[in-house]
Amino acid sequence: MPNSSVSASSFVTPVITTSHRARLSLFVSLLLAGAPLWAAPTLAVRIAFIGPADSDAHAGARQGISEANAQGKFLGVSYELVDSADVAAALGAHASAIVVDGAAAALPAFATQAQGTPLLNVRAEDDSLRGQCVANLLHTIPSQAMRADAVKQWQKKQPGSHAEARAWDASAEQYAGSQLNKRYSDATGRAMNDQAWAAWAAVKLVSDTVARLHAAEPATLLTTLRKDLAFDGQKGVDMSFRDNGQLRQPLLLVEGGKIVGEAPVRGVAPNGDLDSLGNTLCTQ
Amino acid sequence: MRILVLALLLGLALDSVAATGRVFVTNEKGDSVSVIDSKTNQVIKTIAIGKRPRGIGLAPDGSAVYVAVSGLNHIAVIDPKTLEVKGDFPSGDDPEAFAVHKNGNIYISNENDAKASVIDPHTGKLLTEIEVGIEPEGVAISPDGTRAIVTSESTNMLHIIAIPEHKVINSILVGARPRSATFSADGKTAYATSEIGGEVKKVDVESGTILGKMALSDDQAKPKDIVVSRDGKRLFVAGGRANRVFVLDSNTLDIITSVPVGKRVWGLAQSRDGAHLYTTDGVDNQVSVIDTKSNTVVTKIAVGEAPWGIVIDD
Repeated sequence: MPNSSVSASSFVTPVITTSHRARLSLFVSLLLAGAPLWAAPTLAVRIAFIGPADSDAHAGARQGISEANAQGKFLGVSYELVDSADVAAALGAHASAIVVDGAAAALPAFATQAQGTPLLNVRAEDDSLRGQCVANLLHTIPSQAMRADAVKQWQKKQPGSHAEARAWDASAEQYAGSQLNKRYSDATGRAMNDQAWAAWAAVKLVSDTVARLHAAEPATLLTTLRKDLAFDGQKGVDMSFRDNGQLRQPLLLVEGGKIVGEAPVRGVAPNGDLDSLGNTLCTQ
Repeated sequence: MRILVLALLLGLALDSVAATGRVFVTNEKGDSVSVIDSKTNQVIKTIAIGKRPRGIGLAPDGSAVYVAVSGLNHIAVIDPKTLEVKGDFPSGDDPEAFAVHKNGNIYISNENDAKASVIDPHTGKLLTEIEVGIEPEGVAISPDGTRAIVTSESTNMLHIIAIPEHKVINSILVGARPRSATFSADGKTAYATSEIGGEVKKVDVESGTILGKMALSDDQAKPKDIVVSRDGKRLFVAGGRANRVFVLDSNTLDIITSVPVGKRVWGLAQSRDGAHLYTTDGVDNQVSVIDTKSNTVVTKIAVGEAPWGIVIDD
């Protein structure tokens, strides 16, 4: 990273508008007056969810919403997960972003329909979807090629290993993985798997961005998500989106129910480059 | 004569215990505390303390060293003179970082409960709990004792807490995974590290305005502890995986230099005269001692496994 100068221009500095300041001071005076702990939210954000309501992804998205609200209560922002039958319903509900737990075949049409609104894919791993480079289609679930590359890298170090590459594992402990696993299992009674993590991440990276912008307009969100994301997915690195819409992320190598390593594999992938996993380019 | 002795004893008891000049280091995997004599830089004792000791702090009168023993959910109390473990009191689940107020109370983050707790170490009583963001971590208290900062790692915030009201009066968004914070001597400015963001932020405590930020020059940097030099002009930042301590100008945040130390440098403690900075180098099982004039390592001291927290009784 360059030694950037001291500046208030970067997006990571929260934009505090006059009205926000006023709200904050009101909020502070309420606190000091012994009023209820948190002021009423002034920015209500809806995130739509398309997919089965009993899925791991849905549970992950709910966890993301709960954590978003834990942050939002300090900033005057509230978040709500809106279960939506389709894109039209999501747009009708004025969703700032749409999380989709569905098949690859449906996604390009969904994206076209949702044009300008971030659509976050938390299930489909098809490489062709990434290759299409649809402007508003983002993928928090790793692609098939990412998983294959992770295994290949691992086998260079551990020949004969049968480890699988995963986005997440319920036994993850490092990088505060144990804290996330505990929060999730306490709240849902489930063990966090790949789809749950991908949906949690989708909601949380949207709410992080809303918090930094103090705005939730879909087009603004989409631009910031694509260009300026530095997301802490609790895997030890800051994550951002590739131009093809795929979230850069380390993968966990799991063998016999245990995490045995992580990819990019140290000593195999040059400089631990996250882009050594999967494709980075558009095919069309 | 007897009266004089009594007066002297009383004086000692009422004022403060003479500083021992000892450096105390928690060894997270060694389940111990290494004690270093700062005059000779030799380890004089290794104290068995229990599973996973991490945060460490000194009573304001120098009468006790407190150690957060994560695996035992308590804070152990060491007598810095006799080096005996005097006792312990409950801390809540999995204690990690804490700070000691000048009134003697301990402010500790409860990572799994999104809370900070205030504990009176003399009675072991929990005085109050304060709701903060997810995964609270670093704790700092302003020199005048009227403000505390708790960082919440998964909510990316610095929570400014008024003391004695124990209310969050401001929550400031910073870079991803804020680990540690510290105040300027006048308490008006705070500095914080973000581990995943790899940066240092400077904030105005009362308004919550971000005054500046600096990305650390090594992208391996996962900064943790941050300390303001005694003259207030510099910041020392433990660079984690960068295996170096960054020295920043506290006004501009420009990086003046960086000092290579051991692997995974997490903890920092400064001598009272500001001449030396002690670091815990987590993977190399050592403490490095930096001369802050020349910004060079003058000695390295082998300690227990995975040294984490460090405090100097001087």
